[in-house]
Amino acid sequence: MEQKILKKDQIVKLYNHIVKDYNFYAPIKEKRNITFKKITNPEDIVLDYYNSKVPPKEIIFPQTDILFEYKINGKEIEIEEPKNLEEKNIIFGIRPCDAHSFVLLANFFSQGEFNDEIIMKRRENTTLIGIGCNTPKSTCFCTSVDGNPFQKEDMDIFLVDLQDKYLVEGITNKGKDLIKQFSWLANATESDLKEAQKLKKHAEDAIVTKLELKDIDKILDPNFEHPVWKEASEICIGCGTCSFLCPTCTCFDVIDENVPNENRGRRVRIWDTCQSCLYTLHTSGHNPRNSCIERVRNRILHKFCYYPKNYGMLGCVGCGRCVQLCPANNDLRVIIEKIMEIKPKKEEKITV
Amino acid sequence: MSKVEMQSEKSEKKKEWEPKIIAFLCNWCSYAGADLAGVSRIQYPSNIRIVRVPCSGRINPYFIIKSLLRGWDGVVVSGCHPGDCHYVSGNLVARRRFAILQDLLNLFGIEPDRVTFMWSSASEGDRFANLIKKVTKNIKRLGPNKKFESTW
Amino acid sequence: MVIEDQNKEIEQLIRDVARKLLKEKEVDVILGYTKGTIPLTSLPIVIDKVEDVDKLIWNNLCYINLAKYLVPRIPTLMNEEGQKLKVGIVSKGCVGRALIHLSVEHQIDLENIKIIGIPCNGIINRKKIEDEIGEKEIFEISISGDNIVVKGEDVEQTLPFNEYMNELCKTCQVKSPPSLEGICVGECLENPIIEDDFSDLADFDSKTPEEKWEYIKSLLDTCTRCYACREVCPMCYCNLCFVDQNQPVWFGKTTAYSDIFTFHLIRAMHMAGRCVGCGACSSVCPIGIDLNLINRSLEKIAKERFNFTSGIDPETLHPMMAFDMEDEQEFMMEED
Repeated sequence: MEQKILKKDQIVKLYNHIVKDYNFYAPIKEKRNITFKKITNPEDIVLDYYNSKVPPKEIIFPQTDILFEYKINGKEIEIEEPKNLEEKNIIFGIRPCDAHSFVLLANFFSQGEFNDEIIMKRRENTTLIGIGCNTPKSTCFCTSVDGNPFQKEDMDIFLVDLQDKYLVEGITNKGKDLIKQFSWLANATESDLKEAQKLKKHAEDAIVTKLELKDIDKILDPNFEHPVWKEASEICIGCGTCSFLCPTCTCFDVIDENVPNENRGRRVRIWDTCQSCLYTLHTSGHNPRNSCIERVRNRILHKFCYYPKNYGMLGCVGCGRCVQLCPANNDLRVIIEKIMEIKPKKEEKITV
Repeated sequence: MSKVEMQSEKSEKKKEWEPKIIAFLCNWCSYAGADLAGVSRIQYPSNIRIVRVPCSGRINPYFIIKSLLRGWDGVVVSGCHPGDCHYVSGNLVARRRFAILQDLLNLFGIEPDRVTFMWSSASEGDRFANLIKKVTKNIKRLGPNKKFESTW
Repeated sequence: MVIEDQNKEIEQLIRDVARKLLKEKEVDVILGYTKGTIPLTSLPIVIDKVEDVDKLIWNNLCYINLAKYLVPRIPTLMNEEGQKLKVGIVSKGCVGRALIHLSVEHQIDLENIKIIGIPCNGIINRKKIEDEIGEKEIFEISISGDNIVVKGEDVEQTLPFNEYMNELCKTCQVKSPPSLEGICVGECLENPIIEDDFSDLADFDSKTPEEKWEYIKSLLDTCTRCYACREVCPMCYCNLCFVDQNQPVWFGKTTAYSDIFTFHLIRAMHMAGRCVGCGACSSVCPIGIDLNLINRSLEKIAKERFNFTSGIDPETLHPMMAFDMEDEQEFMMEED
């Protein structure tokens, strides 16, 4: 399919067309932060941004997610499934790293008999219109984790920002079908395509953080008790900001709420973090991850060892949010460097 | 018209909102004082629902906040006069807690008269009734507590 | 003296004192700050060798309250046998106050600590700088004279330090740790007397309850319940926080405003008279919520009701640990 051009002053037209059938999520400025929210006024859309603080995973995996509601009528219990799952969503302006995170989230939430119907339904009904990163931040490292600032495979429609217009490319059939609806889009010219190529090269060269991650899972596996973990966690305060704002973190807690005297209630899922000191507290009182050392180790192993083992790809997308937002500046990049300096040991066989 | 018919007509006309006020009363003074008011047939508004606690020092500020969250229109906390606590110093400890809680509730925008603290002894049936009348009037003026209505 | 020169002096003071303490083996480790890996941060660091002393810096971005690393819930500074190490802590006033207050609450033993007092000249308000620069990436931030110089992608701005300081720093009266015999080295405050009229709160205090409710709601309603504020605060050291209690469940953990309101209200109640005004909670919030108003009000409550300021005197008990027959009770209801 030929590539198209969407002028930036046509975005309102695009919005008005799409919003008839879809919930339109795009970046806006809320309380001085960029965040992906459902748009009711297209003038609110912000086009000049790096990325949101809270990742767009919150659209398909919200911080507060109602699993079901119940009503008790005498001896009968009525269960109400969550509404709005059939609604279609468009996420406009998602970055390649976050688009890739949706693949990682889908791997996790769709495991065979443990398929999370609620989240996967939302994911199915969500179309991603992503924009390549012309100016990656100095903390971005998508190229080190098999990504790219112009990676388009995980999106439905891929846009390249050409100053006053976007180059539009349909990637999936879902995306191509959507583009067909916008017959008013102009065709892209040769010079548009050349410009996009130039921007891609420029963006790739602009990535300054380059981490060596070859075979990191083979280095991590036998070094569970290595002193590097004490160094990596000495200043960690266990606040959990890294996991709350990580686009691939999936841990959650489930709580029950009720309205007394009205015989009704609901079950709610909320985000949780493995960095909390209560995360692995057993009812016996024993806590296998009793200090920041074990908890930081667990997080790194999860992203760079367990996830690759289970799904064949790294569990980190290189968005750099944990690096920018860690209050104690416990820089993931520094930790990875320390780990890669460990000489790989021969894999020890663990006998039980 | 018979008295019964007149009363039922009155209650049908008067469908106005009646506040629900929860009252935490300490067993030895305030609860006994409320009991005395009842036995002496002193009339006071029936909007309060009493919860008996051993001492005002038992009142955890969580009780007060949870009551507001649950939709109670007003909260009353009453204990023995300072110096008269059955457990010697329970109400003195509580007084500091209540002071801080009241200041913080004001800071966060909860109307100052929603949560009331008072001292009332076992022999002050009259005083208890008067204070409850005052509290009920205040809460009626403030209106229902809609701030924490569940949105689901 | 301009801020830039003050910083040089403070850095020199830290390094000199740290070197002396390590050489004479009065401490096992020094806990201080070093340069962060990205602009607008500083990195807490633990050093145990005299050669590493030059890694210690002071740069107005040292917003983490180092006292947090000593509370029992964070067992980092121990040797192989699990015994606590003797620590020298680089202390701005609020860090010193936190250490003293923690010792009043029997959480740490001041005997194992050397407080390296420094005359703190304020912490930069990271969120305000980011707002000012907008969506451009910041590459470098430095102090020149009395100004903050911010260099970023296509942007260079010079901002006056006094305006871009943390709100709590603007009204701070304890810039160095209160002096303690045998424990404080460096520059400490002798006999600090706190005089504060809290005039900065007069504007908010004059609002109606409805206005206050709306103001606080607009301040807090984007809270994402990540608890970074709780984890960075040296005074939040409970093994089981009240929100995590589940026997019974007192309060909700969702992002509905009634739950957010409750968390912040009760946390404020637990902090009354204990908050030392370090502002770390506001500095670390990923959403950028500024808890300055609430924290200042907590100081006001403690000062005006009980004439108490936390962390000044290790012998004075916290007001909630005591009571007085003569306590004020103007808030109690009386008959008409």
